Amino acid sequence: MKRRDFVRALGGLAAGSVASLAGAQAPAGTTDAPEQSSSNLFPMDQQAARSVRRPPKPNAKPLLDNDERDAVERQLRCQCGCTLDIFTCRTTDFSCQVSPAMHRDVVALVEGGYSAEEIVAAFTDGYGEKVLMAPPKRGFNLLGWTMPFAVLAVGGTMLAVLLRRWRRRAEVAATSPGAQQVPRVSTGDATADELARLDAAVRDGA
Amino acid sequence: MILIGELSLWVALVMAAWATTVSFAGGHLRRAELVASGERALYATFALVLLASIGLWSALLSHDFSLDYVATTTSRNMPAIYVFTAFWGGQAGSMLFWTLVLAIYAAIAVFANRNRARDLMPWVSGTLGAVLLFFLLTTCLGANPYTRLPFMPLDGTGMNPQLQNPGMAIHPPNLYLGYVATTVPFAFAIGALMTRRLDNEWLGAVRRWSLVSWLFLTVGIVLGMWWAYVELGWGGYWAWDPVENASFLPWLTGTAFLHSIMIQEKRGMLRKWNVVLVISTFLLAILGTFITRSGIIESVHAFAQSPVGNWFFGFLVLGIAISGWLVATRLRDLEAPVQLESMMSREAAFLYNNLVLCGIAFSVLWGTLFPIISEWVRGSKITVGPPFFNAVNVPLGLLLLFLTGVGPLIAWRRTSAANLKRQFRGPAAFSLFVGATLLVLGMREAYALVAYVIAAFTLATIAQEFAKGTAARRAMHGESWPLALGRLVARNRRRYGGYVVHLGIVVLFAAFAGMAFKVEHEVSLQPGEKFETTDAWGHRWSFTSQGVSRYESLNRDIEGVALVTTRDGKPQGLITSERRQYRDSRGNPTFNPTTEVGIRSTLKQDVYVVLAGISSGETAELRIAFNPLVPWVWIGGLLMTIGGLIVMWPAAERKRMASGYRASLAPARELVGAPE
Repeated sequence: MKRRDFVRALGGLAAGSVASLAGAQAPAGTTDAPEQSSSNLFPMDQQAARSVRRPPKPNAKPLLDNDERDAVERQLRCQCGCTLDIFTCRTTDFSCQVSPAMHRDVVALVEGGYSAEEIVAAFTDGYGEKVLMAPPKRGFNLLGWTMPFAVLAVGGTMLAVLLRRWRRRAEVAATSPGAQQVPRVSTGDATADELARLDAAVRDGA
Repeated sequence: MILIGELSLWVALVMAAWATTVSFAGGHLRRAELVASGERALYATFALVLLASIGLWSALLSHDFSLDYVATTTSRNMPAIYVFTAFWGGQAGSMLFWTLVLAIYAAIAVFANRNRARDLMPWVSGTLGAVLLFFLLTTCLGANPYTRLPFMPLDGTGMNPQLQNPGMAIHPPNLYLGYVATTVPFAFAIGALMTRRLDNEWLGAVRRWSLVSWLFLTVGIVLGMWWAYVELGWGGYWAWDPVENASFLPWLTGTAFLHSIMIQEKRGMLRKWNVVLVISTFLLAILGTFITRSGIIESVHAFAQSPVGNWFFGFLVLGIAISGWLVATRLRDLEAPVQLESMMSREAAFLYNNLVLCGIAFSVLWGTLFPIISEWVRGSKITVGPPFFNAVNVPLGLLLLFLTGVGPLIAWRRTSAANLKRQFRGPAAFSLFVGATLLVLGMREAYALVAYVIAAFTLATIAQEFAKGTAARRAMHGESWPLALGRLVARNRRRYGGYVVHLGIVVLFAAFAGMAFKVEHEVSLQPGEKFETTDAWGHRWSFTSQGVSRYESLNRDIEGVALVTTRDGKPQGLITSERRQYRDSRGNPTFNPTTEVGIRSTLKQDVYVVLAGISSGETAELRIAFNPLVPWVWIGGLLMTIGGLIVMWPAAERKRMASGYRASLAPARELVGAPE
């Protein structure tokens, strides 16, 4: 039975390699020669900018100064493929034409009297949620935000239950007769104190 | 030589298949001659892969552009060192490099255990052979560095300029060395599951190899951070890019394992958990490679969109299936009687540490994969960027830092309240003092304050451990302070090396928290124009443009701007930032222009200048940033490396044996407790 399981596993190994081989050969014809339109490190989409314009509000006065505007840009992701925010991209990579275009839209909205929240909302309308550096905390995204903590809580609870069970076992062992000495397996991580005693004992013995 | 290399690669493929088959067969049928044949086949695979690698190196160094790989990664006018490192600079070459490292590790692992763990080793060599076989298959059929072009170009396209950096020359091999080293513990874990036994030989081998992997991953990750910081110009060292996360994941589970293995050594507990951690670490390394090579997740890394991803996906699924099946059917056999005396014991503390490390690993994995999950469920794309990872991981990281401080203060088995109080008093007082001082000095960033308070606490516990040990040695042997400290570390390398690693972690966290005080400015400067500002430390800085200059260098055209800087009125020298256009040997531009960042580094902060563009011929568009405490990131990384080396230093084992510590483990009780 065990042997059969094992053989089956080996068969699975072979089948898997063949499958992945077949999958691999299909796109193998595409060459990955560097394209001049792409960045050096990632494929760059210079056409990714979309117009996010709103008519200026009546008697519009800018509500944001330059630092506040940059803070808004740090919440919005450049769409060229760089994974940076607009501010960082446009002040880093001058081959990108997307972040300057998005920046111009931000500037226009600021001059049109829009608030930070309104600008972010306008960009989300234009590009979808992917334009935000992190998903907004609502709907399905809440699962994304809470899952790590939920898993940690579940893990913590499981650990607590386990620890308690193990401790009960130790209490039982301690009270049961004849189970006093638990043999201690140790390879050297003794305390300085223990080592010193050991050292002394070895010296005295020698 | 090139032909020999190419042929060797194919023969190596056959040899690895042989090694896998006969090793597993030998283990199953218990036939020593098959096992021996399998081990010899692994040595032969190593020799063949080495030949194949030498072949590729000679093709690179002799500029044989008939090979596609040589033509697309090098050019005649590249510095020789980068021609050499081009071996791992591209997809196909890096696959061969990975295979080479794995073959070396496999040979070493088999050789080191040639007289040990005999019933385990067939499964270990079989597993190593199987992984080698996968990599050779992928290299030969998926990304072969020996693929020829139909014509011979006069020159190659050269290497991506952003990879022509010392950090990039050594960061990938370090990561590969770390990734690949996870294979050996994995092979031992499979061996343990197949033979249904774990003994001390198993423990020793797995621990050593996990340390190797941990050390290389640490160095690789820190070098990657350094490269991103000095080369990419966006002003940070960690952006939670999927590829960065991919290297971080096995590091986290590997670190968890290095802690929980100590409980198994001391108490025989957690055997199952340790096996699971070892397997997860390997599978996460493969998952990381899959993410890196497949381009399924948007990332800034070059390997994206390649068929090799499919291979890794197949291998990953297969790996999960086989190890899952083994774990499900055999884990119960590894069960050991478990007891825990107290929730406040070192073993419990290690378990809390494991919980947090695995929690961080999960959240990183979750955040990396969530865009795929979201697109799958809702059909709309989202971005999970640094704000998510920071929000989730900063609290977890601080908890971990706190446990780093607490763990060493708690004794094995149980800690008495009085002892706990005595141990905590000093560090707690010190951390409160640091917190109060920072508050008085005007620090108001909540996270940064908490980080520094905890860092101070942990720092103090480490210092306390060193001080106590040294004092004990002085009292015992009458040694001087430096001698006592040196001997303390030398005689107990695992423990004190570990504390040095912890010290590195504290320094890293302190440096990370410094970035909360980063200040950056967007500036346009005409020649002679001056920009003045104040940094986070309160220093007054001025930057005066010396104008834009244009000139040619080895393989590039350069436009640069130089800024004369002063701090509080005192001259601080020139900072230059450049825009480089690389050219091939015929003068044609290759790749896109790149930015060369100007950095002026002191222990307080880096002044980071990026030339973002040049407008109307003479006006430099600049980003000037003050990045507090960044040099401490590299110092922390260095400390972790040094600590890891202290722990790993091979003499530690031998010396301890020679001086009686190790050999006397069983007799120790008799020696210490023997009535005279």
